[in-house]
This record gives sequence, C-alpha cells and structure tokens, in this order.
Amino acid sequence: MLQRNLRRSGSYLLAMLLVLGILAGCAAPAAQTGSEASSSETAAEPAASDEVTRANTLIFAADLTDLISLDPAVAYEFGGIQVVGSIYETLVGFEPGNAEIQPLLAESWDVAEDGDMWVLTFHLNPNAKFASGNPVTAQDVLYSWSRAIDLNMSPAFLFTDVSQLTKENMAAVDDQTFEVKLPKSVSPPVFLSIISFSLAAVVEQAVVEANAGDDMGSSWLNDNSAGSGAYVLDAWDRSVSVTLNANPNYWGAAPAMKRVVMQNTPELANLQAAIETGDADIVQDLGPEQVEVLQGNPDIQLVSGQSTGLAYIGLNATEPPLDNPDVREAIRYAINYDELIALLKGNAQLVQEFIPIGFLGHTGENPFTQDIEKSKELLAKAGVAEGTEIDAMVPVGTGPGGIEWSTLAAKIQNDLAQVGLVLNLQQLQSSELLNVYRAQEGKAVFMSWGPDFPDPDGNATPFTNYEARSLAWRNEWDDAKAIEMSKAAAAEQDPTKRIELYKELTEYVQHNGPYVLLYQPTTTFGLRSNVHGFVYDPVDTPSITFALITKE
Amino acid sequence: MELSAPRGFDLWRRLRHEPTAAFGLAILLIFIPLALCAPLISPYDPLFQNISASLTPPSADYWLGTDKLGRDLLSRMLYGARISLWVGTAVVLSAGMIGTLAGLLAGYLRGWVDEVLMRVTDIFFAFPSLILAMAIAGALGPSLRNALIALVVVTWPVYARLIRGQVLSLREQEFVSAARASGSQHRRIILRHLLPNTLAPLLVQASFDVGTTILSVAGLSFIGFGAQPPLPEWGVMISEGRNYITTQWWLTGVPAMGILLLVAAFNLFGDGLRDILDPRLRR
Amino acid sequence: MTRFIIRRLAGLIFVMLGVSTMTFMLAQLVPVDPAANALGQNARPEQIEAYRTKMGLDRPVVEQYLTYLRRLLSGDLGESIRTRRAVLLDLRDYLPATIELAMASLVVSLLVGIPLGMWAAINRNQWNDGFARVLALLGGSLPVFYVGLLLLGLFYRQLQWLPGPGRLDSTLNPPADITGLFTVDSLLTGNWPVFQNSLAHLILPAITLGAFSTAVLVRMTRSAMLEVLAQDYVRTANAKGLSYRTVVWRHVLKNAMPPVLTTIGIIFGSLLSGAVLTETIFNWPGLGRYATTSVTSLDFPAVMGVTLVAAFIYPLVNTIVDIGYRFIDPRIQSE
Repeated sequence: MLQRNLRRSGSYLLAMLLVLGILAGCAAPAAQTGSEASSSETAAEPAASDEVTRANTLIFAADLTDLISLDPAVAYEFGGIQVVGSIYETLVGFEPGNAEIQPLLAESWDVAEDGDMWVLTFHLNPNAKFASGNPVTAQDVLYSWSRAIDLNMSPAFLFTDVSQLTKENMAAVDDQTFEVKLPKSVSPPVFLSIISFSLAAVVEQAVVEANAGDDMGSSWLNDNSAGSGAYVLDAWDRSVSVTLNANPNYWGAAPAMKRVVMQNTPELANLQAAIETGDADIVQDLGPEQVEVLQGNPDIQLVSGQSTGLAYIGLNATEPPLDNPDVREAIRYAINYDELIALLKGNAQLVQEFIPIGFLGHTGENPFTQDIEKSKELLAKAGVAEGTEIDAMVPVGTGPGGIEWSTLAAKIQNDLAQVGLVLNLQQLQSSELLNVYRAQEGKAVFMSWGPDFPDPDGNATPFTNYEARSLAWRNEWDDAKAIEMSKAAAAEQDPTKRIELYKELTEYVQHNGPYVLLYQPTTTFGLRSNVHGFVYDPVDTPSITFALITKE
Repeated sequence: MELSAPRGFDLWRRLRHEPTAAFGLAILLIFIPLALCAPLISPYDPLFQNISASLTPPSADYWLGTDKLGRDLLSRMLYGARISLWVGTAVVLSAGMIGTLAGLLAGYLRGWVDEVLMRVTDIFFAFPSLILAMAIAGALGPSLRNALIALVVVTWPVYARLIRGQVLSLREQEFVSAARASGSQHRRIILRHLLPNTLAPLLVQASFDVGTTILSVAGLSFIGFGAQPPLPEWGVMISEGRNYITTQWWLTGVPAMGILLLVAAFNLFGDGLRDILDPRLRR
Repeated sequence: MTRFIIRRLAGLIFVMLGVSTMTFMLAQLVPVDPAANALGQNARPEQIEAYRTKMGLDRPVVEQYLTYLRRLLSGDLGESIRTRRAVLLDLRDYLPATIELAMASLVVSLLVGIPLGMWAAINRNQWNDGFARVLALLGGSLPVFYVGLLLLGLFYRQLQWLPGPGRLDSTLNPPADITGLFTVDSLLTGNWPVFQNSLAHLILPAITLGAFSTAVLVRMTRSAMLEVLAQDYVRTANAKGLSYRTVVWRHVLKNAMPPVLTTIGIIFGSLLSGAVLTETIFNWPGLGRYATTSVTSLDFPAVMGVTLVAAFIYPLVNTIVDIGYRFIDPRIQSE
C-alpha cells in the first residue's frame, strides 16, 4: 500500500517540482520589481535633441472609450476627432480663441453667385504638403470629400444633408484651385464652418488609394495616416492609447512635443491619480470631487473651459404620453434646476435653449424653474394619471461636467416622482444607447450634444429639422414650422436679422420641442505645472492643438 | 462518498457547536431579519434625495453617511441586503431545482438520458460563467431579472452533476436495491429513497452558491449588466461610488463590507454544514 | 492511451459544437437588427438591404447556422461590427493580455495558496491556522472589483509604489510581438526596462484576480493535507519515530497533491471569468474588456468569438491536464 502510494505520488511530486521550478524562475525577478520599477522612472536616458524623451513627450489622458475610427470620413466622437484633427488639415479652420474663420490648406477663397447657386472657389497654399513630402492638391481635396460622401458614415450628413453637397458640384479646376457649388438655401459662412470639421479633412489620394482594400482605405487609416498635419499616426493600440509622432515633413512650425500619447483612462479616480503622480501631463474631464481635491496642489494647474456641449433629455414626440406637448412642458416644470446645478458644483451652467453660450443667437433666457403645481396642472390637463411610467435610457459612465449619468438620472427621476411620473431607468453603454436612439426607438433619452461646427445652425438643424435625421428625427418631432424657421435662419445673411430669427426659433422649441435642456457643462482639465501653451477651444477641430504645447 | 443526513434537531444542535458555522449563522441571523424588516427600520426611504446633505460623512443623522444625491446609505444598505439575499436564494433555488431534476433523471435512468444531459452540462461548464452571463444579459437587455436568468443558466449544471454522482453511488446500495427488488415504482424510489439521501451535499453546495451568486450579481451590476440604478443593489452602489473612492470612502467601503460579511457568512455556514454532514471530514 | 486521447478530443469537439450552437442562438435573441447596427445611422435602406444579402442575413435561420458553422471550421469568426475588423484579428490582439494576466494570477495563487494551506494544516487549530483561514475567507468573500479599486487606491494613488492601470507606462513601447505576453517578449528580446515595467504593471491586477483562487487553493491544500495526516500510514510513520518534518515532506505532501492539482485546472476557468471585472478596473486591454464592450455595443459577431474562445480554453486546459496525468501515470482511470 505504502509502496504503491509512493510510486504513484512520485509523478505528482515531479509535476509539483516542475511547477515550483517555474515559480522560482518567475519569483526571483518579481521580488525585485517593487524597488526597481520606481527607480526606472527617474532614470531617463540621455538623448539627442530630436530624440523622443519623456521631456518632449506629451501624455494626455482622457476617456477615449468611444474611439472607433481614425478615418476622417468615419470619426465622429471626441477621441477620433481629436486625433484626426492633429494628423489631418482642413481647407479652413479656427485659431484657438478666435471665432473668425482662418486660412489653413486654402490660403484664400472667393464666394460668388451663379444663378441659384453659390460658388465657392478655394485657392490652395502652394507650400502645403503631406507627410510624404508631396504637395496637397485640389485633386486630393476632391478625392477626400467624394470619399466621405461615398462612405456615408456617421458624420457624412454634414455634407449630404446640412450642406446639400453632391459630387457633381465639386471640381478640381487645377492643382491649386478647388471649386464647390451650393444651393442658395445653404449659407456660405455656415458651410465654411462645416468644412473646418474633421469630416472635411484632406487625405493624400495616392497613399489612400494604394491601400484602399475593400473599404476605401478606411481600416488602413486606422493604423496609418496620410495627412498634412503636425503629427503622424505612430500606433493605435486598441482601447489603450493612440501614439502620435511629430511629422518630420510638416510644412508649418515644427511642434515642440515630438510625441503625443493619448491614453485611454475611463475612470475619474484614475485620471486624478494620473495627474497627481505625473503619469499624465494633461488630463481631461475631471469631476467636481476631483477638482476639489486637486485645488491647491502646487504641481497641478486646473484649466476650465466652457464646453459647447449641452446635456439634455430627449422625449420621443410620438410615444404616449410624451406625444402630448403639455406633458413635455410638465416635465420641464417638474425639474429642480437649482439643485441640479448645485450637484455639479460649478462644473455647469444652466442653459435651457439649444444654442449654447458663446454662439450667435444665444438668448440667455431660462424660462423654466421648478413649479410642481403648474406641472401637475399640465399633466391633469393632458389626462395623465398619477403613477404613469416612462422608460428612460441613460448612458453608463460619467456625463458632461463630471457627474455620473446615473446620478443625474436619479435626480431627475426623483423630481418627476414629485409630480406623479415614474421614470424607469435603463443604463446602456452610450454606443448601444445611440443605436436605439438613432433607430427612433428611445422614449426618454439622457444624452449630451455638441455642435459639429461653430454656427448656431450646427445645433438648429439637428434640434429642429426632422429631415436632417438627427436629434429631431431621433425624437420623432416632425414639425413643419420649426423646419421652416430653421431653414430661413440658416440662409439669412444679415446677422441682426439672423439673431432675431434664432430667438423666435429658440422660444418655439423651448415650449414645443421634444427636449428638456439641462445645462452646459464646463470641461475641467488638470495640467502639470510645467505644461504651457495649452488652449482648449471647443469650437475648433481639434479642440486641443497639441502642436502649440510646450513643457519646461 | 457516504453522507449521513442527521435529523433536524440534531443538525441545529451541532451547528451551534461548530464555531465557524455558528459564526456564519450568527451573521445570517442578524442580516436576514434586518433585510426583511428594512421598510420598518430604515431611517429614510432608500431613494429619498436630500441634495443639501450630499456626501455627508457618517454622522448622527446618517449613521453610514450619504451619497452624492444625499440618499441615506444605511437605508440603502438595508434594502440592498434584501436584494442580495433574495437574488442569492432565488437563483440557487431555481438552479437547484432544475439541476436536481436533471441529475436525478440522469443518475437513475442512466442510458442515453444520462449521456445527453451530461454532455449538455459539459457545454455549460465550458463557458466562463461571467462571460456567458454577460452575453445573456446583453442579448436580453440589462436588468436584475435578466441577470438572475443568466445566473440560473450558468449554475444549474453544478447541481445536475452533483446529484447525478450521488444517485449513482446510492442506486447500487442495499436499500435502493431492496426497494427495487420489492417492486417499488421509479417515482417512489426517487422520491422516498434517493432524494432525501442527496439532500446533505445539496445543502452544502447551495450554501456556498448563495454566496457566490451574491458576488456574481454584484459583479454583473458593477459593470452595468445587472441591477439598474437607482436600485440600491450593492454592486450598483459600489459602481456609483467608485469615483469618490479617494474622497468619500464610505460610498464604496460600506457596500463592499456588506457583500463581504454576507458572502463570508454563507461560506462559513457551508463549511460548518459540510463538516457536520460529512463524517469523514469531522475530526 | 491513443484511444483515450481520441475520446477526449471527440468530447472537446462535441462541446465546441454545443458552445457555438448556443452562442448562435444567443445572437438570434438580440433585439437589434444586425444590418442596421453594422451600418450606422446614415445607412440608406438599399445599403442595409445589400448588406443583408451580402452577409446572408436574408436566408433562413437554419441556413445561416450552417453557413456560420462552415465558416467556423475554416477559422473565420466573422467581422466585428464595432471595430470593423475580423474578429479573429481582434482576439489575436486582446487574448495575450488576458493569458498573461491569468498566468500571473495563477502564479500568485500557487505561491501563496499552497504554502499557506500547508502551513495551516500542519499547525492545525493554532493561530497560524486561524490566520490562514481568515485570509482564505476574505479572499473568497470580497468582491474582486472592490479589491482592485482598493489596491489601486493604496499602492498606486496613495503610496505610489506600483504603476497604475494598463500593461505598460505610456512612455514605453510594447516589445516586439512574439507571444503577445509583454513580460515574455521583453525577456526574449532582452528589453530589460520593458520587462521590469510590464512585470510591475502585472502585480496589482494579478493579486486582484488571484485573490479568489488563492482562497480556493488554501482551503483545498489545507483539507487535502489534513486528510492525509489522518491516514494510518502517516500515523505509522510517526510511530516509527520519523521526524515530523520527514513525515510531512515524504508522505503527506505527495499524497495531498492530486486533489490540489485538479483544483488548479478548475481555477483556470474562474480566472477567465474574474478577468472581466479585473480588466475593467485596471484598464487591461484583454479578452474581458473586449467582451464587455462587445456586449454593450451588441456586437454579436465579436461576442460569439469571445465566448467561443473562452469556452475553448477551459475544456482544452482540462483535457491537457487529464492527458498529462495519463502520461505520467497510465494507471489512473478517467472518471
């Protein structure tokens, strides 16, 4: 018995020894790392001036979970736009902090009339060249824009619907001259704003075509770049980071930061830790609680920027009881806006109109304050019974202003309960939520919206024009009057008249539209104190210009 | 493995004398009444918001502090205990019943029934449970109910295997053979002889699984596939509090402590139960 | 022997068939139109129709299932809706991170669990035993995601002893891709700083993920040791006057190991499940994170791919363990 057991267990012992041997092999270095890891931070390699070191590397941490594409024709979310805006350039653009449109790839442009069309002629800068060293030509512009229209991905509606741009109405007259024809219903200044957006970025035709594959090079552009911007794409490590290197052939001023690492950091607590430890040079979207902790830390500067986004609740205008405008009005009167803003501790401003602060046409008027009596009256008038249930979709994670979406939704749920409405919350990842929302299948939807270009029309069309298949469409609000008013306002050339038109539209949407506008958030950045030249300009693409940043 | 099933009174007496089991039992005997009486003893409505008391540390008014919306953590904890206990027992009861039925049939009937059922459990065992539960919750839509369904789906095969093993060893034993020889019906043999004798290991397994289920539901809720806010489920509470972990520790610490205590109680109880019911291990 | 292996492999194939059928059925439950989901908001009806035809979504379900199986056999897991890449390529990117994490956790569990369990058994009912049992109880009862949050808060944020989330500091480039395991690849290429850094990054997530399996191992080792300690031949050996040390090392340990080794196989399955939560906390770009984002975006080709791979690993490991046992000792009968 013993003999047998011994023989049998001999093999186990062997296996055990093997395991222990492997363990010992791993254990030895494992034991050392604790101390060595910390020392390696200080041991920066001595480097030549153009070599990449920690000193000329910028580490930018933010929640980049929504990053799905680095193709200018596809990217339509913060992370993607920020990367595309750093790698590619548009014909015209904005300078940080300046609302006046500026030359970029186009050194000048003319606007003329041709019958019932506008004709815009862009004269390209002859010095502009791609990272490959080849010049940027009108043919490249034509290819890039046609490509965006053909691919027809998320941002394409800015061309096809908002600008009513067709491939037939674009032409490369010669290498330096690019011509676009637009219907009169589209205002040229609005169009110039639109083409400052990443969708209109110019890619190098020869390079993209050589790698077209079966998706016009879309997947190739996720790992490579073909632009003329200050940076080129080094690597996109999916769901981890995007690394950009300075473009050695850049035709503008060479950026001080030779490398930019955009680190995906979804948790607020980790963002806070990243800036405290110096693991990151810049962190984006700190919450109010993180701001409180970081205030007074001498190593960190806090920079707040007025975001152009708006947090709102979309109410599907065909879903009972939300199809009754009185019910939507009742909901607007049920919410305690003061407490909402208090929750955000200065990370938000109360805005109850779809044109954000800082945009032409913003009125600054907030007609709604909590009025339980009035709200109940409206509900009674609409015949809505006490305890009526409304399904609401809420994104997972942190919302604008650094408050958890679920917290925000629970607050609203609590307010609505006071007038007898039961909000059933369902949390969804924002991508999934958008899928349902875009399919017009939402009922009440918590979301935020940021204009794609700095013109009131950037919000007016999505919020009011059902045909644009954006917000009004998602909420199934097909209102002929609103559509007509927004079209008229967009086409109006006289700024004073335009402001007047938007004021009327704003008031109309405030009381008839399918929205409860909640607030305009402030985006708070944490910067290490040695970081300079940081400017946040939400209307610009990209909103942070990495090329301007320096470090001491 | 032969297990003796002690009578009820005996079991109770022995449980009290097994220190670990007694400790586990004591925690459960505190938690269960508290959870049951949550509506009576909670100082506040668990959903009542008082924004002006936002993020209050534990104090005389709020024993365990408040969250961002000024909701009382103690009240939320009490209601949360209800949810966790209910979820744990509901999943284990359903999975236990399905699994027991499958296991009895497989072990008693043998043949192709056994073969098919066991291959099916093989398939379920292959899935990492949380990934399968996530996929199910994703397909059905995230909610506490769907998380429960998902967990039943991943848990029942454990019982099927367990019971089958028990039945296989029992069916060859004298009292079963005797019952068979005397011409008893299948149903009678299963109900009168097999089932009672599989009860002991079943109880032990169930006790551990209630704890595991509570952990799994909290985990699923934490990543958004389980209970939905504002339900005061503990996993949801930890998820909601995780941005405040450096500044307001109680938002995560308190629910985590609740999970720890409750799960540990079930584990200790299961340990004690096994020691008592499995004489071979009792020393 | 050959017959045994063939039987196990046949069983494995059957399980895979069942698993793929189940994931296919799950995908059918999803309430969202896969074509509309894949093409996004601007898709025109004719585009959606074309996609439907191209992907065979207009065919009867049975036919779709058969096509799906045929594709699987040729190693084609389909294309992810979210990332617009072949699922196989995505998995190739994400799997190594999870394998590395699971291996590291297993190492932690073995290093801590087995000695602690032995120590507890030998000192039964003394303070060391109590200590080990309390640790095991904590490890088995604490929610993994809270442990992760806590460890990050303490060792990264507060003490700054260890690096934060992720596999590598942002300043370092990943090593040349050989196995995809950063620690192994950096060693193979002699990239010392990356090796140190990736190992340091592994410590906290490995402890977090390993806590539960460590607890299981402590309990398993302890009770297996106790059982052997109570056996007659151990008592005999004791009576013969052999030193306690010799008895423990020569007799007890050897005989206590089989159940512990079996447990290790089982642990691997639980590690994959736990990885979902651990990877979320530590921003670890592995299979669990991929699964979570795929499920939330209802990217069911990707979900099917992940479940298939995950469901493949566990029976595969167990089959290998079983076959391994047989090679070591042909007398062991399979159950």
